[in-house]
Amino acid sequence: MGPLSADAQESQGAFLDVGLLVFDPGIPADKAARSRLGIFPEIRKSEAKYMPVILRDVLMQQAGWGAVRVLPELMDSPELLVTGEILHSDGQQLSLQIRAQDAAGVLWLDAVYEGLATPTDYTGSPQSDPFLQVYENIAADLQQVRERLGAARTSTIREIALLRYAAALAPEVFGDYLVVGESGEYMLQRLPARGDPMLERIIRLREQEYRFIDTVDEQYVNLSDAIAPAYLLWREYSAEQAVFVDDFEDRVLGRKSRARPGSFAALEQTYNTYRLSRIHAQDLDELALGFNNEVLPTSLEISGTVYKLSGTLENQYGEWRDILQQIFALETGLTPSP
Amino acid sequence: MACSDAPRQQTGLQARSDSAADFSGHWELDYGQSDNTQERVNVLVRELRQQAERRSQSGQGPAGGLVINGNGYNNGESVSGLVRLTDMIARTALLEIDQDEDFIRVRREEDSDLTCEFYDDSLRQLETPFGSELCGWRDHQLVFRLQLPGGLSIQHVMTTGASRARLQLTTTVRTDQVSMPFTINRVYNRFLPGERDFRCEMTLTRGRVCTTGPR
Repeated sequence: MGPLSADAQESQGAFLDVGLLVFDPGIPADKAARSRLGIFPEIRKSEAKYMPVILRDVLMQQAGWGAVRVLPELMDSPELLVTGEILHSDGQQLSLQIRAQDAAGVLWLDAVYEGLATPTDYTGSPQSDPFLQVYENIAADLQQVRERLGAARTSTIREIALLRYAAALAPEVFGDYLVVGESGEYMLQRLPARGDPMLERIIRLREQEYRFIDTVDEQYVNLSDAIAPAYLLWREYSAEQAVFVDDFEDRVLGRKSRARPGSFAALEQTYNTYRLSRIHAQDLDELALGFNNEVLPTSLEISGTVYKLSGTLENQYGEWRDILQQIFALETGLTPSP
Repeated sequence: MACSDAPRQQTGLQARSDSAADFSGHWELDYGQSDNTQERVNVLVRELRQQAERRSQSGQGPAGGLVINGNGYNNGESVSGLVRLTDMIARTALLEIDQDEDFIRVRREEDSDLTCEFYDDSLRQLETPFGSELCGWRDHQLVFRLQLPGGLSIQHVMTTGASRARLQLTTTVRTDQVSMPFTINRVYNRFLPGERDFRCEMTLTRGRVCTTGPR
């Protein structure tokens, strides 16, 4: 088993590309559970697009990665795929389930990352995320795995990624270059010959796909920039609310009324305490509404663009597959399987 | 804050009702059609006296229902407290109600919202350190019950007719210091917020933002 053709190697480079799938927002299907858990669905959906962009920025600041892209949906065999689910997110606490797997099917990490923030962590700058440490911890763990790999393994992962991509587009040609082990790991069975014209075509097509995906990624960055001010305010307010409610509970529950039981003063105090506690809880609903009013139009517009681009890419795939099958038939005289 | 499911048979309320009314919209208080608080107070005092007399005649308690300046049960301060609190709670002049199949929010001017959820066909009871809230349908009526510390309980019952032109909000307050509850009925008329050439909405970064154009 030898290395890929020189052209193929040249087109790859030494670093792994990272695909960050838009996070699973973690919204329960059961509406009662959403209400019980204090989940605002529209905010969660925005967070699911915003958070991968933060992680992308942190990874890009780290040396040693190739292109880092946010993906709307699972693409064929990214060299390293990072997926995430939002387990909990409010102004005080962020909890993410993060999973990373390379193209060879090796799991790099599958862990929960958590962080806490206090109102003082909110500096008012969209550039400073109060939970930056959470993303830095994920990046550090990914870096640790990557550093253990060595150049040869990195290169193999890249070869496997390319051949998985090739097999998806032209299964008749590249379907038997890889084998899948019992544990689901991909292993190289053999390699295309040097200068294999079909592989050259595949590499060119993949480059075209990357250009598409870069446009999609740019949309996510734009969305992230657009929602950052409102989103940071939302988290800051909700953190302040939570602190206020805790303080309020401590203050009120430790207070002893001097008013005579049954008197208006006593009754008013009891009612107003309840009323205030509810008003503060309901303020979050109003803030969520404010967030939605502000962010939803931008989010919908950008989601529409991403959807169109993804749809275009899907059509493009179909066309590419047809063309490659025709070329395969011309070159080999064999009729491709349907 | 916690939520729990409340069994229907204990509450007399249900999460779904075939005759559930549609309260959604904007409502303003009709002072002319609403209860006069003083008249309701007079009724309460009269009933308390009658109750006390009945008890006295049957040998169950002392004569006299309302004891002005007294220290015990049904004393003047407690009855006054009950009346004033009920009047305070029922003073809301404007209501704005959002309603769909699963959720109702009653925005009350100068008070907290009354909210009701029926997501999984069960009544939700909201428990907080400061009291608990339960709501549900009783046929065509929507009922909110608040149980607060110190023996204070509040019930709001919302009713509307087929034309949905009027809404009645009946507020009943009970305390453990007065032997009878106090009830005030408020009547609201539906109104349409003025047709304007601009609309406003809340945003986080810019506060309330108003834009011109059709609603």
